[in-house]
Amino acid sequence: MRTHRDLREFPYNGLVSFGLDNEHYRGVMRWVDWYGDGSLYVLDVGLACCTLEFDAAAPTAAGRLPSLDERARVAIVISGTVTDRLAPAVAAVIDGCEQQAGRRPVVISFGACASSGGPYWDSYAVTKGVDQLVAVDAYVPGCPPPPEALAAVLDQLMGRVAS
Amino acid sequence: MTDVPPNEWLRAVDALKTAGFDYFDWLGCVDEIGRRDCFRIVLLVRNLAAKAEPMTLNCWLPRDDPRIDTVRTVYAGAAWHEREIAELFGVEFLGGDSRRLLLNPEFEGTPLRKDEVLAARTGLDWPGAKEPGETDASANRRRMVPPGVPDAAVWGDRDDSQPAAEPAEVAESAGSGRMRRRRT
Amino acid sequence: MSLPEPSHRWIRLIEPACTSCMICARECPSWCISIDSHTEPVEGLPAGARERTRNVLERFAIDWSLCMFCGICVDECPYDALEWVGDVTQPGSSSAALVEEMVEKSEATSR
Repeated sequence: MRTHRDLREFPYNGLVSFGLDNEHYRGVMRWVDWYGDGSLYVLDVGLACCTLEFDAAAPTAAGRLPSLDERARVAIVISGTVTDRLAPAVAAVIDGCEQQAGRRPVVISFGACASSGGPYWDSYAVTKGVDQLVAVDAYVPGCPPPPEALAAVLDQLMGRVAS
Repeated sequence: MTDVPPNEWLRAVDALKTAGFDYFDWLGCVDEIGRRDCFRIVLLVRNLAAKAEPMTLNCWLPRDDPRIDTVRTVYAGAAWHEREIAELFGVEFLGGDSRRLLLNPEFEGTPLRKDEVLAARTGLDWPGAKEPGETDASANRRRMVPPGVPDAAVWGDRDDSQPAAEPAEVAESAGSGRMRRRRT
Repeated sequence: MSLPEPSHRWIRLIEPACTSCMICARECPSWCISIDSHTEPVEGLPAGARERTRNVLERFAIDWSLCMFCGICVDECPYDALEWVGDVTQPGSSSAALVEEMVEKSEATSR
């Protein structure tokens, strides 16, 4: 049986880079020091409602990315619907994060829209999942997922057992 | 609600603003296919100081040549709404801002017209098409059709010997908002 | 004032109550419920009774990558075979991994 996954195309060949590694963008891109110890920095690409759950999950406010310990990890959370119009910008932010952090970020698709288009999978204007733009490491279902779901995925990523 | 012909639209809107309706609320469009072969442009403005009822103006445009004056010279905020209507319905606003607003630059089509079928839904096997007690949906039964998908005999699987369905027929078949049985 | 326990986080199938009527799959706005079933004759009818069949559920799956948690399926089920639970939905390493199969497969129904 054909499902929505059979409808998906990959309209973008590789990420678009706008050179987001200059001083200006370092100030604009905000990262959360998730465990407060510099081991994991998390950036939210807040596109729609799911970003409110990110805000609820984040233990502290986001700030500029400091220079990283070589073992530090970075994660990007796509929170919300990726519209076709905005897709190039989302791809550019993800690429810019990799440049800025100097390592490949873990990409988390947070919520139904980021995972597949969600309830808007049939829209003429929606990219059916951020994995159309970039390889995703973890897909978190929910509409929106509760904040605990994001915390659990990050704990799992870092090999930490939730207390 | 007052109907205004297209050639008096700008004058009527300007008169409203002069009369004290200086708060632009919204400008919308309704595809009246199936009832009238028109787009209905609807404007709602308010006179906040007078605390009176808002004023609503309708302008009926022929569906095959929808053109109307821009009112962004009267209410600057109308420009955004006009761009949205132009992009999603294909209405031309004379003297208006013709830039794309919400859709991808490569996008083709006017998706809010009721005869434009939501292709993604028609391209898939709807899980609800199966009957209770079925695993493979057999082809010959009178299937349930989901909302938003026209009857295949109208659009999608039409007999080659028949001419294409009229837009009104496609709109009516796709737009019922209910699931229903195929006709054949 | 204590907050109620979270409850609307996941939807569970109560398999014995499901009659494969298809109502939830048809009402779902996201098309995320997939159901397969077949019919079997009813056993143990009195002698002379006309043959009757019943639906046997083979597959009930929810694609959590599409579900918007509206709860229409839970409300519409005439047999209360779907219920809200408070467990957090589980992440997956692929989009396809978010499809949850809710019916245990037996030998007779494996495809």
